[in-house]
Amino acid sequence: MTTLYDFELSGNCYKLRLLMSILRVPYDVVPVDFYPGRQHKADWFLKLNPFGQLPVLEDDGLVLRDSGAILAYLARKYDPSGLWFPTDPATLADVLKWHAVADDITATSSAARLNLGMFYDFDLEKVQQGAHRIFRIMDEHLWFGEQQGRDWLCAPAHPTTADIACFPYVMLSEEGGISRQDYPAIRRWTDRVRRVPGFVVMSGIFPAGRAAE
Amino acid sequence: MALSVSDPTWFPIASSADLPLRHVYHGQLLGRELAVWRADDGNVNVWENRCLHRGVRLSIGVNEGAELKCQYHGWRYANRSAGCTYIPAHPADAPARRITNKTYPAVEAFGLVWSAGNEDVPFAPFPGADSGDWFALRPMPLNAPAEAVMAALLGYAFQPATALDAPAADMQAEPLPGFAVRLTAHAGAERQAAIFFVQPVDAARSVIRGLLDTTPADRLAVLRHHNERLDKLRTRLEREAARQPAPAPLQPSFDKVSVELSTMPEIAIPRGTTLNVVVKRKWTTADGIIGFELAGIDDNHLPTFQPGAHIDVHLPNGLIRQYSITNGPGELLSYVIGVKQENAGKGGSKVLAETVREGDVLAISEPRNNFPLRRDATRTVLLAGGIGITPLLSMARFLDKSSLPYELHYFVRSGEHVAFREQLDLLVGKVIIHTGLPPDAVGTTIATTLGAHSRAQHVYVCGPGPMLETVRNTAAGLGWPEEAVHFEYFKNDKVIDASSTFEVELARSAMTLQIPSGKTILEVMRDNGLIVPSSCEQGACGTCLTTVMEGEVDHQDVYLNESEKRSNTCMMTCVSRARSARLVLDI
Repeated sequence: MTTLYDFELSGNCYKLRLLMSILRVPYDVVPVDFYPGRQHKADWFLKLNPFGQLPVLEDDGLVLRDSGAILAYLARKYDPSGLWFPTDPATLADVLKWHAVADDITATSSAARLNLGMFYDFDLEKVQQGAHRIFRIMDEHLWFGEQQGRDWLCAPAHPTTADIACFPYVMLSEEGGISRQDYPAIRRWTDRVRRVPGFVVMSGIFPAGRAAE
Repeated sequence: MALSVSDPTWFPIASSADLPLRHVYHGQLLGRELAVWRADDGNVNVWENRCLHRGVRLSIGVNEGAELKCQYHGWRYANRSAGCTYIPAHPADAPARRITNKTYPAVEAFGLVWSAGNEDVPFAPFPGADSGDWFALRPMPLNAPAEAVMAALLGYAFQPATALDAPAADMQAEPLPGFAVRLTAHAGAERQAAIFFVQPVDAARSVIRGLLDTTPADRLAVLRHHNERLDKLRTRLEREAARQPAPAPLQPSFDKVSVELSTMPEIAIPRGTTLNVVVKRKWTTADGIIGFELAGIDDNHLPTFQPGAHIDVHLPNGLIRQYSITNGPGELLSYVIGVKQENAGKGGSKVLAETVREGDVLAISEPRNNFPLRRDATRTVLLAGGIGITPLLSMARFLDKSSLPYELHYFVRSGEHVAFREQLDLLVGKVIIHTGLPPDAVGTTIATTLGAHSRAQHVYVCGPGPMLETVRNTAAGLGWPEEAVHFEYFKNDKVIDASSTFEVELARSAMTLQIPSGKTILEVMRDNGLIVPSSCEQGACGTCLTTVMEGEVDHQDVYLNESEKRSNTCMMTCVSRARSARLVLDI
């Protein structure tokens, strides 16, 4: 029995919906009114997650917090291939590094979106510039990856939870006034993520067409 | 050199490698946003980044391989022409030919894609372009004005690929026309030339695009070498630009949607706008069927067509005949038609088959579609008899490209009569060729194929008259509604009774005409100076379809189905007449 405490417009909740769809994990949803209701700061929710953040996942009585940690949990538990969260030391470190980048993307790109769309008090220019700084490095990393035949953020020839963790707030950046025009390699990578079997959309994220056969 | 939105200079706007198949690249030049995409045939399209329907960016659309689909309402636009081929909100209708997005010129050369803000000057390669085996570097976008970037690039220093770790190379800079510079690095005996271009994205944004004159042995090391140095240059330029007041963004004027697109069209479309094509290839594609490939006279593409469309071909003996286009989506460099050799005929197809040769020039009409294909069916059945394969082959190729399910049944007398076999072999969908069936077996095969109707199933049929009658009757017997049965006759075999006399009132033109026996409504309208569209003039093609406001129509065509005829709201003015004393038409 798996239950997701979910807000429809949250990119962090979407990360879990996306991986559970890809791994075919059935789950129930408990909607949490993040905006405008601020239910993630309500007493009942703080009992689940004292940090007052979405998402929370309950799985067989276990209560899990933090989208990156939950991605790792889901991949280890429900992906028998082990490809989504590899555990050889070098790849594991690489995946966790990009999980950390994903949190930086949340702190910048998502913050810009919350400022413009949900009236959160952030320094818009600062968070936008912060997102551009990350996207530049990410674009360079992905561009050189293409030169070396690496399609994904980390080394294996298969996407990992790092790609899932970074994807949503890259795709939603334009809702925060952050154009991806200068990041063509990121744009191509988002096509590839959107073609992963089992991919699902959320509001603001469009499907990609089929790959050429 | 100040930037101008009307600058006709060609600039590189993307690397070839930026355009993998089925991707849409988001570009910008001189303030204009661009949607850039490569079709499966390799052609690079550079379009204004705006769907003319609701203005949504086409760069978030879907590259379907031969058509670009807008993400918002699913309008499809053809490779090369950017003409609209399908509107999901009007699935049964053919979009007007005039619905076309704005395109910009495009050339792919030296590993880069080039475009210009207008077509005032033809593309010319940079000086010395033929002296290198050009290798594109990673483009470097930066927030700095093009002039400042250009000035800084004159002082850009790099190492030859073969001497990356040698002492700093001596640099020579030779400015080239436009925003470009040739830089040569000398390190001992090692030498390397490179050309750097600055793409003016907007007043305060640019992209540096570099080409090395040779492909280095260690590509990655050289790419990283330039990436690091260009990144340093970028950091410096952006710091300097941040200290200056930001120049005002360029203000390109976006053409308004043309008056003819934004208003109700005139009912009358002049007949006779023709274009010249050259017979590029003529070949026997099957026993008794000649294939013709008709290409534009210059290198430009031909007009947009939709599956099911036909062209009028003006023959050397003055006759005009209609032929369906067999092409797949986005194939606009030539039209391929099939012509049946008729020994007895009056001479239309005979002239084409016998006297027209490769290299001859023919006049054709723009494509017209009276046999549109829906793309919202859960099951599409295509039934072809003999030469009737031509429109259905085009439909099958469109459905293939969009990965939509269909089955194509092709009825022929024998294997030698199968036309366009090489194209049929390429189809991914279900293709069944029925050879030499006697008429009753054709009937039972059709009945088995159709089966009982369920929602969102459509059948399209083209072939000899008796086969069409069989399909229509069989489909009706199996409960297929008329709107699910789409047909196209080659010709109207009915004997036309032109004996009646009656009066026609043209409501929009405020004219009343007397139609004598022996003359058609179309002829009398033309005698009175009206310009009205027509094509086959025998009630088969549907081009002269006219709305009827009052009066009872004497239908004599084979274009309308029975319920359309019974509705008494439309007619073909080339053959049909009046049962009542008077007709009021919406002309």
